[in-house]
Amino acid sequence: MKHNPWALLAAMTLLAIPLAAHHSFGLEYDSNKPITLTGVVTKIEWTNPHSYVQIDVKDDKGNVSSWRFEGYGPGVLYRTGWKRDVSMKPGDTVTVKGWRARDGTNWGHSREITLASGQKLFFGPPAGTGDGGSAPAVEAK
Amino acid sequence: MRRFVAPLIVAALIAAAFPSASLVAQTAAPGAAQASAKSSVPRASDGKPDLTGVWQAGSTARGSWEEANSGTGLGGTGKNPSAPAVLSASDRPATAEKAPYQPWAAQRVLESYKNRGVDDPAVNCLPPGVPRTSILGLYPTQIVQTPQQIVILYEQMHEHRIIPLNAKHPDDLVPAYMGDSVGHWEGDTLVVDVTGFNDRTWLVGTGTFHSDALHVTERYTRVDKDQINYDITMEDPNVLTKPWIMHTNLMLREGTRLQEYVCAENNLAPAFYERIEKNGVNFRRP
Repeated sequence: MKHNPWALLAAMTLLAIPLAAHHSFGLEYDSNKPITLTGVVTKIEWTNPHSYVQIDVKDDKGNVSSWRFEGYGPGVLYRTGWKRDVSMKPGDTVTVKGWRARDGTNWGHSREITLASGQKLFFGPPAGTGDGGSAPAVEAK
Repeated sequence: MRRFVAPLIVAALIAAAFPSASLVAQTAAPGAAQASAKSSVPRASDGKPDLTGVWQAGSTARGSWEEANSGTGLGGTGKNPSAPAVLSASDRPATAEKAPYQPWAAQRVLESYKNRGVDDPAVNCLPPGVPRTSILGLYPTQIVQTPQQIVILYEQMHEHRIIPLNAKHPDDLVPAYMGDSVGHWEGDTLVVDVTGFNDRTWLVGTGTFHSDALHVTERYTRVDKDQINYDITMEDPNVLTKPWIMHTNLMLREGTRLQEYVCAENNLAPAFYERIEKNGVNFRRP
């Protein structure tokens, strides 16, 4: 059997490396507080460093509250299959999955949105992104 | 025979630079496969490997951006929402060595970690520096190569680096977020020397600060059409006890275009941070 030095080199250099959100998830959002809400889109901000979608959510008694969810910027969303002003528009009924903000306000971070068409698309990174992961870069003492 | 030499030279260079890789040099033997790998490396008019293209860092998957980031997902950019949580630029790669900080400096890094990166300089849309910018996988990187200089464009933060070849760093460097880069070819490997940094960026992972004595050496080796091996050595005698070494790669993403990224457009994070600190919301790790 012949060895392939390129393959060996590649294997030696394999490393799971970083992807990033612009800022810390864990500082703003609580991964222990997942939330799923269905509502009507009232506003979409296709902006950097993060996009935002606002939805009106009606409770059992008919009271409406407005929620704002954060996600990736438009460049990342474009590469994950979003079509601006086509995939989601004000007036659409959508279901947003994510996690609540630590301050208890009607604010959250969204991982996935189920669109009016039934299609599901990522809107933001997984919980825990950007605040150092499960271990610090140094030996903890 | 000549065509078999380059892989061995690269192996020897890597083995010399990184002792842990010496096994590669001992076990590598020439064969037909590496000849085809070498022949699949696009060449520039001057005969050097051509690094020109749009690349994704931190991936090992071949194919277009869509193909490589679908399925179980990569960095949360995939199509499967149940994909496991992955590392971010503020996370230390699980398989990487711990950062060799001096004890006092390690305490400062740990404090940032416990505070979930509340002191992250990038949250204010400041340039993330090197290599924090160059290892990001969520955003594409474009390399433009000429015989005289190499330009690297990063979508995130609209950062760019102009790397003159066979040049010296200027004598009158002003400390900079992205440092000052000069490059040269060692065989088929582009070696980039980066110095002239300020002390306002993180290296890799939450809290990984450095001083203005930071010196980064990058090695870019295009090993086939799809892959550049990207090896990084970080030296900073003011905060580290020894060089901090990382290996990753860049994967070709044909068809991907860099998008606009105006970080100041709608940056709500700093105000959010201020609000939760002012309201006494506990975000510190237990």
